[in-house]
Amino acid sequence: MTKLQAKLVDDLVELYVANRDEVALALEQLRGQILADKELGKYIHSIKWRIKDPEHVRDSLERKIKYAKDKQLRFEITRDNFFTEFYDLAGIRILHLHTQQMEFIDKALKNRLDEARYQLIGEPTARTWDDETEAYFEKIGIKTKKSETLYTSVHYVLQTFSKSKYTCEIQVRTLAEELWGETSHTINYPEETSSVSCKEQLAVLARVTSAATRLVDAIFRSHREHLDNTKRDIKTARKPATPKATAPKRRAN
Amino acid sequence: MPQNSKRHNALRFAIFNHKGGVGKTTLTVNVAAALASLGKRVLLVDTDPQCNLSSCLLEESVLDDLLANSDLTNGGTIWSAIKPVAEGLGEVGELEPVELSIENLFLACGDIRLSEFEEELTGFWSECLQRKMRGLRGTMALSSLVNQICTDQQIDIVFYDCGPNIGPLNRVILLDCDGFIVPAACDQFSLRALRTMGSTLTSWISQWSLISKLAPEDMYLLPGLPRMLGYIPQRFKVYRGVVSQAFAGYLAKIERRIVSDLITPLRKIDSKLASSSLEVNKLGQIKDFGTIANASQVQGVPMSEVDAGTPEQRADARRAFHQIAKKILERSK
Repeated sequence: MTKLQAKLVDDLVELYVANRDEVALALEQLRGQILADKELGKYIHSIKWRIKDPEHVRDSLERKIKYAKDKQLRFEITRDNFFTEFYDLAGIRILHLHTQQMEFIDKALKNRLDEARYQLIGEPTARTWDDETEAYFEKIGIKTKKSETLYTSVHYVLQTFSKSKYTCEIQVRTLAEELWGETSHTINYPEETSSVSCKEQLAVLARVTSAATRLVDAIFRSHREHLDNTKRDIKTARKPATPKATAPKRRAN
Repeated sequence: MPQNSKRHNALRFAIFNHKGGVGKTTLTVNVAAALASLGKRVLLVDTDPQCNLSSCLLEESVLDDLLANSDLTNGGTIWSAIKPVAEGLGEVGELEPVELSIENLFLACGDIRLSEFEEELTGFWSECLQRKMRGLRGTMALSSLVNQICTDQQIDIVFYDCGPNIGPLNRVILLDCDGFIVPAACDQFSLRALRTMGSTLTSWISQWSLISKLAPEDMYLLPGLPRMLGYIPQRFKVYRGVVSQAFAGYLAKIERRIVSDLITPLRKIDSKLASSSLEVNKLGQIKDFGTIANASQVQGVPMSEVDAGTPEQRADARRAFHQIAKKILERSK
């Protein structure tokens, strides 16, 4: 990193600290909108949220600079675009039970963001590594991105439609995916683990949590079918029997 | 009116001090009349639920009639127009102001029921912090109404007459103003009030700045940067052309407090919010006019026009208020 870049990182972190209250309020407003939505409430298990710690912003900027250098790209973040180009200063994570709720969550979330005057930046993207899940997301119209690291989540990036513009990131994932995500994050952040054994076990955990989410999908489908069948049976049982044919009345002679 | 329409370019002022009895209403009437006599079309907005301004300027029977019918959709007070918003049933209604007998002077009539709107404003404010449209619209309601009247009547200058408190109604009024003027009486309580006024105003301005930075970009919003135009020491006794000693002592104290408690904190937010010069800030001073001041309240006309006192007293009053009016115009350029 050059001296100039180091100075830029210092400046950006300072800029962030000076505006942290605003970022926090923007996040609070977004969280309030999500919690107030009755339709989303049907699918959300719980919500986590955070604004980024200034030192993590510093780490992240330094990593981005290094990445740009390695790939011979321009490092694009400046003082002027920092709050819009740094996507996850404010983040919300929506946790739910199983993958097939996503089509309803996606619709409700987009409606709410639209109503509350937020702009989506780009299309929401699902990180996935499993073919079946990938096919599901494509079927419901969510773009997918192959995840080499086995990380899974749907990401929405949005911007406040206001004088001060801030971007926030919303991640949507299942509880089982959260278990994998949090375990992986704890072990691999800020530095990736060098333990082969841990990596191996994390790769297996990804299969287990993916299978768990898949199993919850199946359980809920079976449950719905079972309820539908039971309803049908009750309906059929209640249907009045066809009246018995009565003997024709005799005509009086 | 549509919420995203532009702000009318009339200048909006408030004569503000949350300490009661400092002569806000009297000052408002007399300064507004002076501006009207200079050819400006002036709208007085009586936002004090006590309606002192309205009862001073309107015949008792006229005011009684307006208040009795203010709940109707075609009612004639500020409450009549604001009611749909206060009750969450719709948009701000239309209001035709009362054209007063003094040329160029109009009055948006006050109403005791504005206190009901004030109760709602507390909720609207927290909804603004949550970026909820209902709260933003509710907070803008009074400003939108003033916009509408200014457009209809081609108003040049608006004066809000505020109640003596630092409640949510005065918050939206001050944040809607381009400038405010502080009348200060020469007594111990007035000195104390200046401190709370400074801290309250700065906290209102900072909170609104945060709200408006995050509010939808195309919404009509309060400007939120009321400049201090100056202060006016009031009702001090003059004995043989010289300010009496006790009052002179208070005047010096007021000046010190104005600088430390009001000008300094405002300039910390934005140096454009107040001038650092005391000379610039002193808009004039109003001595105790005695008989003609009382007559002005009772007769509902400026002191220069009352049927009381001596011609010298009336000319004296005319000079004092004209001077203030001209300074206000100068300061708000």
